[in-house]
Amino acid sequence: MKIVSERSASVEDPVLELYDTSVTFSMDRGTSRVLNDVTFDIQREEILGVVGESGSGKSMFASALLDAVVDPGVAQGRIIYRTDAGEQVDMLDLSREELRRLRWEEISMVFQGAQSSFNPTMKIREHFELVLESHDTPKGQGMEHAHELISDLYMDPERVLDSYPHELSGGMKQRALIALSLVLEPNVLVMDEPTAALDLLMQRSILGLLENLQEKYNLTVIFITHDLPLVAGLADRLAVMYAFEFIEIGTAEEVLNQPAHPYTRALLQAVPNLDAPLSEMSPIEGSAPDPVNIPSGCTYHPRCPLATEECRSEEPHFHDTTESHKTACFHWEQSAEALPFADANEYSEQTAIQGSQSEDPVVSLEGTEVHFEDGGGILNIFNEPETVYAVDGVDLDIYENDVVALVGESGCGKTTLGKTAIGVQRSTGGGVSYRGQDIWDARDKNGDVDIPFADIRRALQIIHQDPGSSLNPNRKVQTILASPLKRWHKDMGGDERLHRIHALLDLVGMSPPQDYAQRYPHQLSGGEKQRVALIRALLMNPDLILADEAVSALDVSLRVEMMDLMLELQNLFNTSYLFISHDLANARYLAGNAGGRIGVMYLGQIVEIGPVEEILQNPQHPYTKVLMWATADLEADEGDEEMPIRGIDIPDAKNPPSGCRFHTRCPEAREICTEREPGQFETENEHETACFLVCDDDHPYWESDPIVDETETGEP
Amino acid sequence: MSKNYYLKRIGMVFVTIYLVTTFTFVLIRYMPGGPMDYMVAQLIQQGLPEARARQIASTYLKVNPDQPIHVAYVDYMSGILVGDLGISTWYDRPVLEIIISALPWTVFVMTVSLILSFAFGIALGAWMAYREGSRFDSVATIVTTFLTSVPYYLAAIALLAVFSFRLGWFPTGGRYNPDMAAGMTPEFFRSVLYHGILPIASFTLTAFGGWALGMRGNSIQVLGEDYLRVARLAGIPERDIVIKYVTPNAILPLYTNLMIAIGFIFGGSIILEQIFNYPGLGYYLFKSIETRDYPLMMGGFIVITIAVAISIFIADMTYSLIDPQAEAGDSRETY
Ligand SMILES: Nc1ncnc2c1ncn2[C@@H]1O[C@H](COP(=O)(O)OP(=O)(O)O)[C@@H](O)[C@H]1O
Ligand code: SF4
Ligand code: SF4
Ligand SMILES: [Mg+2]
Repeated sequence: MKIVSERSASVEDPVLELYDTSVTFSMDRGTSRVLNDVTFDIQREEILGVVGESGSGKSMFASALLDAVVDPGVAQGRIIYRTDAGEQVDMLDLSREELRRLRWEEISMVFQGAQSSFNPTMKIREHFELVLESHDTPKGQGMEHAHELISDLYMDPERVLDSYPHELSGGMKQRALIALSLVLEPNVLVMDEPTAALDLLMQRSILGLLENLQEKYNLTVIFITHDLPLVAGLADRLAVMYAFEFIEIGTAEEVLNQPAHPYTRALLQAVPNLDAPLSEMSPIEGSAPDPVNIPSGCTYHPRCPLATEECRSEEPHFHDTTESHKTACFHWEQSAEALPFADANEYSEQTAIQGSQSEDPVVSLEGTEVHFEDGGGILNIFNEPETVYAVDGVDLDIYENDVVALVGESGCGKTTLGKTAIGVQRSTGGGVSYRGQDIWDARDKNGDVDIPFADIRRALQIIHQDPGSSLNPNRKVQTILASPLKRWHKDMGGDERLHRIHALLDLVGMSPPQDYAQRYPHQLSGGEKQRVALIRALLMNPDLILADEAVSALDVSLRVEMMDLMLELQNLFNTSYLFISHDLANARYLAGNAGGRIGVMYLGQIVEIGPVEEILQNPQHPYTKVLMWATADLEADEGDEEMPIRGIDIPDAKNPPSGCRFHTRCPEAREICTEREPGQFETENEHETACFLVCDDDHPYWESDPIVDETETGEP
Repeated sequence: MSKNYYLKRIGMVFVTIYLVTTFTFVLIRYMPGGPMDYMVAQLIQQGLPEARARQIASTYLKVNPDQPIHVAYVDYMSGILVGDLGISTWYDRPVLEIIISALPWTVFVMTVSLILSFAFGIALGAWMAYREGSRFDSVATIVTTFLTSVPYYLAAIALLAVFSFRLGWFPTGGRYNPDMAAGMTPEFFRSVLYHGILPIASFTLTAFGGWALGMRGNSIQVLGEDYLRVARLAGIPERDIVIKYVTPNAILPLYTNLMIAIGFIFGGSIILEQIFNYPGLGYYLFKSIETRDYPLMMGGFIVITIAVAISIFIADMTYSLIDPQAEAGDSRETY
């Protein structure tokens, strides 16, 4: 089929051109336009980053590119794909069989929810074989390519292929899925939030590998994410979506450094990062529009500080700010001046904020260990069960009004440590005490119990990563919040209780509270659920709240808002937080604003701990430096930066490396690190590091031979 | 799961069987009336004076009604250990012999109905899921929901009334034509099937709906999974999607139910075989309750208990072999 384009493409060599492409859903409330007349070109062999808040239509854009919008959605308009041979095909006008062939062979996709993208009852190998078979590709040759792809992604092909999906870690599954999507050698790879469920270090590592793959196989990559800093270093061009349309498109450098659209500027401001001063980060006011009811004129006008009458009535078209950068805003020329933000480069020293912690610890961990036994199924009856060293010798004191942020990659034991600290996970060694009372002695009524276990339970609360799962779906917000009050304030009357609940809902910005109190959890957004969970925990009047990845599931722009709320409530309620995050930027924001500490965990141990700005400006442990590298800064491609780590996957916690556990991945490792375990060495400012690097010149480390071959850095 | 775990589970099976046996034993002894009373009542009905009836009964029945319960219990339990389940008071034959001759018939009826209802239910359920929301789906949902809510014994009585008594198409009882020599002949098999068809039908008809509805729900869930979307995008043909994706994932959660059903279906045989006058285990158990035949009753209950306990044990143990994910029950952090 030949189609002649009726407009000249905006890029030199387009591989995909969209003409007035829309996606609509008919719903009871009216027609929902979740992709609104998008006209757009994608350059061959570019990496295009598409960013926007959740619900802005990014996924709809992605599925439209393959004509794969889920039922009952309908994609309209035209999407022209140009094959290598220069033939033009309209994606929205193909027969089923043509479409079936084109997908995966020409345009492939890795989409949201990669963690469940494999059939749990089939080995990875079968997935590859089925795909090859379905496209009549010779198996031998195809599997050879699969092997190559898997090796390119730093994994052992035989091991991966012979595994069931659940036997792979999240990061490995994700990479196996990328390999699967490339096995038919497509030209275009569309990735929709492909790394959203992974920890930052894994995300960064995968992005690095993706860059190599793109070069090696001449791919066009469309990378969709809500996480602007993540793609900043990867993308050649960035396109920002708001309310189901693109509002700014340009080279990554231009969009990040000279953003012209007020929304882009607000988005950049709202992202927690390591460079900007804490006071400069601020959430975006208001909320994104409803697809059934898109505002007239410029869709951003209800939230835009620059909005004028013109914006309310007329739709802005794209204005070229430079040859390679355009934005859909009437007043783009004024935006830079009207909405300034601190230039990340200007920022140098952050003064540490003084916290108001007490002298005596609320919770103390002393040499705490949590070891799990893990045998394996009926086939292994006669094997000795293996031990998982989830937490292995941790000392930590948490004071009143304290914030301790634990960071580290997935599987390093953060959650287990957190649960142990609040007494919901029993330690298998060492002690955990609450105000001097051993928690498990209190539980078992061992010896003299000064503080009854019930009081300890109440004093140590938790809010979970997934706010939805922790709230009873069959109870109204009001009932959910009333139950802790009924339990701990038995003398409080019904009216007073209600009054208190309403006041709190109002305080956290859920107004009108009367309305919110009557809702069920499913009628709340993710951020709102998380706030209800936070209030519920606070109503117990706890001394310490474990916030386990409590903001990670929220949109980037909502995280700062949620953390601000946590800080405000800390002042009101005198609570401490043990905040767990895989993202150093979040840890910095919350702990930094409360004068708290950051603790870096690796394989069950705290390898570095100290005051927030001390750790960030003067990191000592090589692993902390790796995490800082992984916490992407808002800068365009810095060229081929080496990964400061060897190997992508964390070693198995059943079999931790000898000596310093980080030695298998540490770029600074020397022979001595493989034999001797470094203790916690304290340097100035209460800064402790478990690494020989901080030791004096006469330490044997400096005499020991490096085990890392210089050329090996960045390889597994 | 460690070696200890399995030993513990096996231990549990034995403890369960032991406890249920003991419980049943005590319960049976405290049932009003006893084998004596039953026989005496029967004899009186035949016109004998009560004293005479009592005399005959006591010489005829080899029971010792005055034996204290704990002594009887110890006697009985030690008998079981050497495979002696006692002598049936009513049939005057060793209980073990009765059970061995009756059990295969029950197993036959139950297995066939279980396989039929499962296979048919799975196929129907998968099909309904594929046509979710269609007319076929709604009609099938109504019909299956109705059939599942009908108790099997009502179905049995209805089938018997219509097909045996009114239409006379099927026999009203028995396991096979008594005029025929039992043997590996096609005629014999045909006769067995002919006699078994109504009992099998009453179970199958009332059970397949449950499987179908379960399968439908599971399949609909699987059809909405991310991996299905990936498979479709990757162009995997629908046939492979049904066979390799939907079916295994939808059946897996039903597997445990299937095993448990095997155990409980024995319980169902008590009433079913009575209705069809079909001399299987259930038939004898019913009879033993009626005649207060303690040893036979005990024997029957023990067999059922063992069947239930072992089925559940097997389900538990083999699940990990069938579901590759079963061992991965650890809760890792998402991040
Ligand atoms: N099946 C559906 N039916 C109706 N609306 C939908 C459906 N799926 C998504 N939407 C709506 O489409 C809009 C855009 O969604 P999506 O593209 O998933 O956003 P993003 O990927 O940017 O988070 C949202 O308002 C969402 O509620
Ligand atoms: S067009 Fe107007 S309302 Fe829209 S972003 Fe620009 S200034 Fe704001
Ligand atoms: S002790 Fe050695 S291996 Fe461990 S972090 Fe320090 S340098 Fe690296
Ligand atoms: Mg999305």
